[in-house]
Amino acid sequence: MFNAFYAKLALANIRRDKRTYVPHIIATAVISGVYLLIAGLMFSYGLANLTSGKTTQAMFSFGMVVFSIFAFFFMLYVNNFLIGRRKREFGLYAVLGLEKRHVGRVLRWENLFTLGLGLILGIVCALIFGQLAFWILLKLIDCADGSRFVIGARAYAMTLVFFGGIFIVTSVYNTLRVRIANPMELIRAPKKGEKDSKLLWPLAILGVIMLAGAYYMAWRIDNSAVALGMFFPLVIVVIIATYIVMEYGSIAFLRAVKANKRIYYRPSSFIAISGMIQRMRQNARSLATICILSTMLVVTVSGTLSLYAGREEMLHEFNPHDVELSIHFVDKDNGYPLPDKAEQERIMGDIEQLLINSAAKHGVKISKERFVAGYDDSQYYDAAIDMPEVDQRTGLAIMEDFYDALDAYHDAYNRGSACCLVRGSKDIYNERALNYAMYGGLLFLGVFFGMLFLAVTVLIIYFKQISEGYDDKAQFDILQKVGMDDRQVKATINSQVLWVFFIPLGMTLLHMLFASKIMSCMLGTFQLNDYALILRCIGATCAAFMLLYLIVYKLTARVYYKIVRW
Amino acid sequence: MELLKVSNITKVYNTGKGMRQFKALNGVSFDVHEGEFVAIMGPSGSGKTTLLNILATLDKPTCGEVLLDGHSFNRVKDSESARFRREHLGFVFQDFNLLDSFNLKDNILLPLVLSRMDVNEMERRLSPIAKMLGIEELLTKFPYEVSGGEKQRAAVARAIITDPRILLADEPTGALDSKSSKRLLDNFARLNSQGKTILMVTHSAFAASYASRVLFIRDGGIFSQIYRAEESNAAFFDRIVSNLSVLSEGGNGLV
Repeated sequence: MFNAFYAKLALANIRRDKRTYVPHIIATAVISGVYLLIAGLMFSYGLANLTSGKTTQAMFSFGMVVFSIFAFFFMLYVNNFLIGRRKREFGLYAVLGLEKRHVGRVLRWENLFTLGLGLILGIVCALIFGQLAFWILLKLIDCADGSRFVIGARAYAMTLVFFGGIFIVTSVYNTLRVRIANPMELIRAPKKGEKDSKLLWPLAILGVIMLAGAYYMAWRIDNSAVALGMFFPLVIVVIIATYIVMEYGSIAFLRAVKANKRIYYRPSSFIAISGMIQRMRQNARSLATICILSTMLVVTVSGTLSLYAGREEMLHEFNPHDVELSIHFVDKDNGYPLPDKAEQERIMGDIEQLLINSAAKHGVKISKERFVAGYDDSQYYDAAIDMPEVDQRTGLAIMEDFYDALDAYHDAYNRGSACCLVRGSKDIYNERALNYAMYGGLLFLGVFFGMLFLAVTVLIIYFKQISEGYDDKAQFDILQKVGMDDRQVKATINSQVLWVFFIPLGMTLLHMLFASKIMSCMLGTFQLNDYALILRCIGATCAAFMLLYLIVYKLTARVYYKIVRW
Repeated sequence: MELLKVSNITKVYNTGKGMRQFKALNGVSFDVHEGEFVAIMGPSGSGKTTLLNILATLDKPTCGEVLLDGHSFNRVKDSESARFRREHLGFVFQDFNLLDSFNLKDNILLPLVLSRMDVNEMERRLSPIAKMLGIEELLTKFPYEVSGGEKQRAAVARAIITDPRILLADEPTGALDSKSSKRLLDNFARLNSQGKTILMVTHSAFAASYASRVLFIRDGGIFSQIYRAEESNAAFFDRIVSNLSVLSEGGNGLV
């Protein structure tokens, strides 16, 4: 009976504060939908049955672990962010006589409703878009197989357990958070201004040095082994430096401008500078977070996109010829001599003939003359052949026949010989299937990760706009009363909003500029050495991201202006 | 000659969906002479704030006219009203209306900066005003670091630094304790003795007792007014209080 009361109060809160809850629910829906899809694909029989499905699935299980970790912390972060903004409201509850445990109960209900609703929406979306996502995945991994995609019970169970865990952790966190604070503190919290830290300048300089140092290191790296070793340390340094520069560097810079009276006491800069200092104080951390998330997004998507775009190139790097034949001999027992050169050439000739026969079965004619011989130790094959007239599907079929024949040949040879003949041939068709499965799957995962990052980024931007809207409304009123005309007020506030919005984007692009070098070095370990291709992929991803960012800006700006009511 | 002439101002608001009309002010007329300290008193909903907003050019009367130095407010274009406000009028509000992002000094200089004044001239003007109001030590503090009384004195400094023709105050003591109120009102009296014209809207009879004339308004119209004679603040205060009781009973036809 009483519980119903708290549930009702929670529902009323959600209905009243739609501006906050709707985006939160949507973000939860995106994250849970993507989570369910990846889990579904990981367990999917439809995928497992495909030729290269196993590779993709193995990658998905790894991706799932990483995704779970990210999703978990993001959900915690978003929860924390939202609860932090409601201090005042909790204070008010306490003053009105609601005990802390009651507030905790209301919060648990709210949490249950938002997460539950988001989860249901996410599942619905996964059901609707699951088949489409599966189809895209099949295209990416180059499988024409028409198998259907069904999300299995295990995937549902996993998603429910995961979000149940998030519900428990966030509920405990919220309860603790309400319990610790005292009401007056809670009510006063938002108005409290912060003084500049004494460490403002040292920290600002430290941040800039760290960032410049990390940029310099990233730019100088030209060796993939070093790049792999340095990447994560550099990422950590850049993340820390981004937070420091945003929080202290920006304010230190504005203070320096402010110290110049001639510049500061002019109408255009007077309000803008103080306004920006205020904004950076309140938002530095969320701006840095936006920047980090955006960089992660661009790195993930552009990295996987580069690999996908360069997959054919890497394939040829690893497989100079379409089919490479080689034979190795291993002693069965000690003391038996290896076959002499003439015998080896005879075996090679037999194997070449087997390939010619297999090809002929599929209507492809190749002659002995087209085989090239390996002649020195740098070659990993004894004979090789290029078959440009053969397409991927025929190639796979030919190779299947060939390997069957080869296995039979090996068995026959090894029965009658003292030493063992080992199969050492490889072909580009099977490698290609594997490569596509891997890089297509990676790109698919990369885009899904991108969606996760994007959902959180958009959410943070959105809430930032809302809270600024309320602050700016008050500022706007005062400025007007003091004698600034509303056109001027609009112009200054507009420009501040724009600045705050585009600082993270600018910083993301800067990060990417310096990351491009180390990224290309790392991709070099995959034998992807096409720097221009990687740059194009990064550029395309940045462009797409900027477009999305602009759309988000336009949408959130509308909410902002509705609040300020201009 | 009168500094401010308010003639026959009416303000009608359309409220609600049915466009029911509500008359906030109904033909109000009065004059304020140069160097006067006028208090306007009245119960909640009597139209005080509407009147002040019209005098502040933040709102326009439905009909009637306001003249400052013989110039009509009606002639001030919308685009120029902000500038007009900045150059001719000074404001003190109940809730201070200081910007949190500026320290007190910058809050006070704000109107001058908007008028593109030279920095040195700004600082020359600031120091005597800050000294008179006793906030010299606080100039580098931010609004959240000082008390309500100190905020209000900073707001007064901002209002008078442009040397306005008239100082408009809306419940200036409304958010202050009695000690800070008295200090603020002493500052008003001092400004007035230096020749500044002040128009103050207030609830408080104590605040009004500092004025040289008190206008009582009720239901959108001037109900009565009393002038300070050669009497002490305390004696004037008593007369204001007795007038207020008449004002609150006035609806019963006792006047």
